Amino acid sequence: MTKKKITIALAGNPNSGKTTVFNNLTGARQHVGNWPGVTVEKKEGSCTFKGYTINVVDLPGVYSLTAYSLDEVIARDYVVDEKPDVVVDVVDASNLERNLYLAVQLLEMEANLVIALNMMDVAESREYQIDVKELSRLLGTPVVPMVAAWGKGTPELLDTVIAVAGGYQKVSGINLQYDHDVETEIVKLEKLISDSSLAEGYSPRWLAVKLLEEDEEIIGKIRQT
Amino acid sequence: MDNEQIIRTKDGSLAHLRTIHGDDAETLIANARYGFISGLIKDVLKKPAVEKTTATDRIDRLMLNRWLGIPLFMAILYGVFQFTFIVSEPFMDWIDTGFGWLSEQASGISPSWLGSLVADGIIGGVGAVLVFVPIIFLLYIALSILEDSGYLARAAFIMDRLMHRIGLHGRSFVSLMLGFGCSIPAIMSSRTIENPKDRLVTILVTPLISCGGRLPIYALFAAAFFTAHQGLVVFSMYAIGVILAILLAWVFRKKLVPGESGHFVMELPPYRLPTIVGVVAHMWERGWSFLSRAGTIIFSAVVLIWLLNYFNVLEHIGRAVAPVFIPAGFGQWQAAVALIFGVLAKETVVGTFGTLFAGAEAAGGFGQVISAELGWTPLIAFAFMAMVLLYIPCVATLGIVKRETNSFKWTWFTIIYTLVLGWTVATLIYQIGSLFV
Repeated sequence: MTKKKITIALAGNPNSGKTTVFNNLTGARQHVGNWPGVTVEKKEGSCTFKGYTINVVDLPGVYSLTAYSLDEVIARDYVVDEKPDVVVDVVDASNLERNLYLAVQLLEMEANLVIALNMMDVAESREYQIDVKELSRLLGTPVVPMVAAWGKGTPELLDTVIAVAGGYQKVSGINLQYDHDVETEIVKLEKLISDSSLAEGYSPRWLAVKLLEEDEEIIGKIRQT
Repeated sequence: MDNEQIIRTKDGSLAHLRTIHGDDAETLIANARYGFISGLIKDVLKKPAVEKTTATDRIDRLMLNRWLGIPLFMAILYGVFQFTFIVSEPFMDWIDTGFGWLSEQASGISPSWLGSLVADGIIGGVGAVLVFVPIIFLLYIALSILEDSGYLARAAFIMDRLMHRIGLHGRSFVSLMLGFGCSIPAIMSSRTIENPKDRLVTILVTPLISCGGRLPIYALFAAAFFTAHQGLVVFSMYAIGVILAILLAWVFRKKLVPGESGHFVMELPPYRLPTIVGVVAHMWERGWSFLSRAGTIIFSAVVLIWLLNYFNVLEHIGRAVAPVFIPAGFGQWQAAVALIFGVLAKETVVGTFGTLFAGAEAAGGFGQVISAELGWTPLIAFAFMAMVLLYIPCVATLGIVKRETNSFKWTWFTIIYTLVLGWTVATLIYQIGSLFV
């Protein structure tokens, strides 16, 4: 028996329709609290689907996962520290290029990612043709086309979430290759991190990348442990 | 121990990368992501050879026009205030009549002190605030429409150019715009601003933007002293708030926290027809806080004011403070008391006048009574409105300033600078105005 309780974190850019997806998923079963230690609003909700209880945590809408704004740090910390079963990234299909920046960063974190490709109607009205299968193959993660504003795609999204959480559908992720010289340094740091106690909670490669990005928050955390 | 070694290795790596590439590793890493994405996009996305012009593009061509953008924005804001005032008028008259009737019934209650507490204190005070419910709700409807339709983002975009010149970001202007509703969510929205200095300055100046709680005060005095030009007078209060917020943001950014400002692409979501459910939900969210404040803080404040007045303490408090405001024209103890209690919630200013001048309606109207008893002229009323607009934000806002800046220093700074600013502006209005009137 796989576990019947699934926690998903809902990520996405502002204006990607994330709130609509959240409302579609949870309906009236929502409650609002605060993220620990800060006064940023934290919305949570739940639904039951095919015998599963699915808990949905709405992350702040962000474009990236650096340490520049409080929202970004909150979103990132939740994914890293709480390790939700699945991270759903709501992507605006009519603004694919910009929205994928967040998706790529989530994949770098080795999150169990499902992409909710929202606003397909807007993309279609602009005569954009999106090869969803190819997108899914190249990102190594399931992609579910949706029109959240019309309530389309929610059951398919939930099916995919269950499949990923249960391990029936694999998220292979991407193997993002940085510049050759950067790679050399990443490998060097990765090795040091793997040998330290840090390797328990974090992906060593991700930490190495964050260190090279001079991420103040991560540097502070490493100093403390 | 071994963690320090990791940090040292990182520093070495960064120095190494900088010498061979001349770029920060951060840039190199971001480039790799962008490179990956643009390669992927070539494979999966086909756009039409000529991008279709959408309705959004066509509307934006007008709304974001270099010359027309700001005048259109001003016209829309002005339209919003005219709309709220004209549409709300009959509703306010009904509520006013209703409270008048209630007050008459209550004044018959014995003992007479209880009758006075209920009629003058509670109904006079809370009623004076509740009369403005239609105006507040209509303003919130208008704001929700502007926000949900996507226009608010355009307003921020239009102002972005100007904001850059003063060293701030267009996104700060979004926070300021939200301040028209209430300073609290506006200040909380500042956390989307990446640069901490930009964020701090935005938090400091947001209270200068006129919120819904201040609207009843303008409405009361505009109706009493500027019958013919109510909309214009109220609009001018909002304009003073916006102009001073921008001006001070510039000063603060230059003098208090100098340094580079963050750069970011402004988000322009497509225009959407706001849904009735969405607009009503937003209106209710905002409006509810106004109603519940009327039932709690304002209710308690007017009871306290009535009690202090009944035992002749209020006048002493007022008289102790009032001389400070003589240069601004409103050096009467009633005005001082209203300002003191207005810090609890700005609507309390209206509640205070309602309690202190209960029965003004019967005696020829609020304006008449204030002119006769306090010697107020339209100029003094205008200076007083400016004072209420600018001086110390309400305690709830101060609480949020404290939480979001996490600093008592900046909270005290906000209290002091707004008080000095309000007094100065009110005094200037009165003194300069007196030369002409």
